Amino acid sequence: MKKLIDILPLVIFVILIGVLFSFLSNKNNQLETVLIDDTFPKFSLSSLEDDSRLLTQLDISELPALINVWATWCIACRVEHPFLMKLKRESIIPIYGLNYKDNRRKALELLKRDGNPFEFSIFDFEGRLAIDLGVYGAPETFFIDRNGVIRERHVGIVDDKIWEEKFAKYLYE
Amino acid sequence: MTPEIGHILLIVFLVLSFAGGFLPLTSVYLKNQTFEIPIKKLAFSLFLLIFLSFLSLVYSFLIDDFSVAYVSQNSNTNLPFYYKFAATWGAHEGSLLLWILAMNAWLISFMFLTKCSDKNFTNAVFSISCQVMFSFCLFTLLTSNPFERILPIPPLNGADLNPSLQDIAFTIHPPLLYFGYSGLMIPFAIAVAAMLFNVDTKEWAAYSRPWTLLSCSFLTLGIALGSWWAYYELGWGGWWFWDPVENAAFVPWLLSVALFHSLIASQSRSVFGKWSILLSIFAFATSLLGTFLVRSGILTSVHAFALDPERGVFILGILGFFVIGSLLIYSLKDFKKDEVKPYQLSSKEFGFLLNNLLLVILAVSILFGTIFPLIYEAATNGKQISVGAPYFEIILFPFALALGLLQGIALYLSWGVTSSFNFLQRLTLESVSLFGIILLVLFILFDNLYLSSFATIFLACWIVAGTLQVSKKRNLNYWNFLKKRLAVTFAHVGMAILVLGVGVVTSYSIEKELILTPGDEFEFGDQKITFQSIEDTLGPNYFSKSANIIFEDEKDISSVVTEKRTYTPSGQLTTEAGIVTEPFQDLYISMGDNLEADIWSFKVQIKPFIRWIWLGALLIAFGSMLAGFNRIQRS
Repeated sequence: MKKLIDILPLVIFVILIGVLFSFLSNKNNQLETVLIDDTFPKFSLSSLEDDSRLLTQLDISELPALINVWATWCIACRVEHPFLMKLKRESIIPIYGLNYKDNRRKALELLKRDGNPFEFSIFDFEGRLAIDLGVYGAPETFFIDRNGVIRERHVGIVDDKIWEEKFAKYLYE
Repeated sequence: MTPEIGHILLIVFLVLSFAGGFLPLTSVYLKNQTFEIPIKKLAFSLFLLIFLSFLSLVYSFLIDDFSVAYVSQNSNTNLPFYYKFAATWGAHEGSLLLWILAMNAWLISFMFLTKCSDKNFTNAVFSISCQVMFSFCLFTLLTSNPFERILPIPPLNGADLNPSLQDIAFTIHPPLLYFGYSGLMIPFAIAVAAMLFNVDTKEWAAYSRPWTLLSCSFLTLGIALGSWWAYYELGWGGWWFWDPVENAAFVPWLLSVALFHSLIASQSRSVFGKWSILLSIFAFATSLLGTFLVRSGILTSVHAFALDPERGVFILGILGFFVIGSLLIYSLKDFKKDEVKPYQLSSKEFGFLLNNLLLVILAVSILFGTIFPLIYEAATNGKQISVGAPYFEIILFPFALALGLLQGIALYLSWGVTSSFNFLQRLTLESVSLFGIILLVLFILFDNLYLSSFATIFLACWIVAGTLQVSKKRNLNYWNFLKKRLAVTFAHVGMAILVLGVGVVTSYSIEKELILTPGDEFEFGDQKITFQSIEDTLGPNYFSKSANIIFEDEKDISSVVTEKRTYTPSGQLTTEAGIVTEPFQDLYISMGDNLEADIWSFKVQIKPFIRWIWLGALLIAFGSMLAGFNRIQRS
């Protein structure tokens, strides 16, 4: 009987570790976002290409689509850029850019030099839409399905592997 | 080149700590001198290695070496140099390095300051500590290497340190907390070594006491600073949020407090030997568990670290290895019966037992409240709930009340049996008079008395009266009597002051949301608030809108600035609260949103006695540090 009490702490602790471990394996490494399975937030911002043109959520008309958060100051975005160009070239999915806290002139220069994979880019200088989206930083990509609902997000560079793993499945729904 | 040197030093540290982790134990068990190594020299070399490795990371920060991934993620050329320095521990990777450094500092302090009669015992403590440090170092190198480079194209500039961490309290809050956490390694190692070598309860309790006290002192300081930081930096005016990360620090704090109380009884009367061992193990376990909860990403919190489940598995592995290992030893060991003098319900021993019981139940309930949302999420397939302040406050109140009542009489109790409870009369008289005086002061200050605060205020008086024991008849001079127990006096009076602060601030605080344009005035409490002007200001790495506010009452006028800062590298917004500190209250104003051109919302609060909370915590930390140093001197 006395021995049993001595083993008790061990048993309790092993159970605790087991429970925590099972949480860990349940939890995938996606970032929690309140917006998953929510419609794209409303916004009203100017276009990068033409500052007199006002864009709203209704302008994101070709669906399904990707929203890609990018900026010229973001080195990783340049690494990601060729892959976005490939998506554009092969007409896999339309991509809308969200130019994030950037310099308009520099951004346009970059698109001119390296190619423009975006249907258009939203110019979000103050990061207002980015806050609504809960953007962590650039690059970051959201998948919007044909009903305008955000289905997936990815923080970091999207490449072939990430595209296949996270996004491609939504395309054929 | 420097980051590579740091990296190599860390690898050498890994190898040496591995050797230190098993060679001394092997030599003891095989009774073979060939495995014996000079452990003091080894401990010192380990310290040198980790210290230089840490310095090389600091150096990379100071020279803006953005080819180091960790530096580029947490620094920026425009960051002032002192924040560059502090950014070294601003995120997961660097803080681990600091953590190992702290563990090593504790280990050499133990080895040079605590003289143990049994060499085997010292060897075992050293080995176990080395094993802990080895596992942390392996964790750092495999999953969180701070020296990783971004090559071939390093970024031109870094992403900047998280703006809310760019603050003076922040530069010292994490190191203090890490010192507290890592210090609990020593009592853990002592407890395990004591089991391995059948060390007498009295003896090992004496070794463990100072280190438990000192870790607890660091934890207290770390938690208090964190709370103060949250108060003025997060802009809500709260001082405790029951955030998972706060709880993760609070639980080991409670257990370390329980531990050093139980160790007093273990050292003086050989009682609670096994209980003290379990507490040592669990205090250490909860400090690791806290790390796990914060850094594995399974809980979301204000203090989010870089989230990575792989790290979670690793920390859980470390936690499992050490705690299951030590509990296995515990469950298999035949403890020899200590010779215990009998004690009765009215004894000091029983007082400590009750204190421990209350503290442990409290710790378990808080831990449960922190983990429960996870269990719920798993059980309901992803529905999320959060256990908020109401749960924790309901739990805390009765236990804190009981603990406080016990604390008031605790110092009157004697070992074995307390012959007379006559002191209760005097204690009641003293605390009631003090209670009256404080109510009078509060009424004069605030023209109001709130019934809801009476319990906590009385409790504070009860603890103060019980600690100071003004009327206790003694042949000794009263001051000599206090001087003999200076440490406990500071710590217990500190607790009373903290309780008083909490009681008053929860009942007497007032707050209001205001919408003002420059030039507007507003009457709030006995204050007249004027929104004088708003201007744009420019800092080294941010620009901000700052509002000049004037608080005015009959006696004096003070002006403060509250800001909305936008940090340029990251674009993050922070709110800087404007705070006027008076001895008995804080006037607190924080800027809200810009509603229209010149119309701003503000939140204004008056927080009476809030400083007393941190003052109390400081006294507690001072008291336990003093006690710790006294103990080291005596041994």
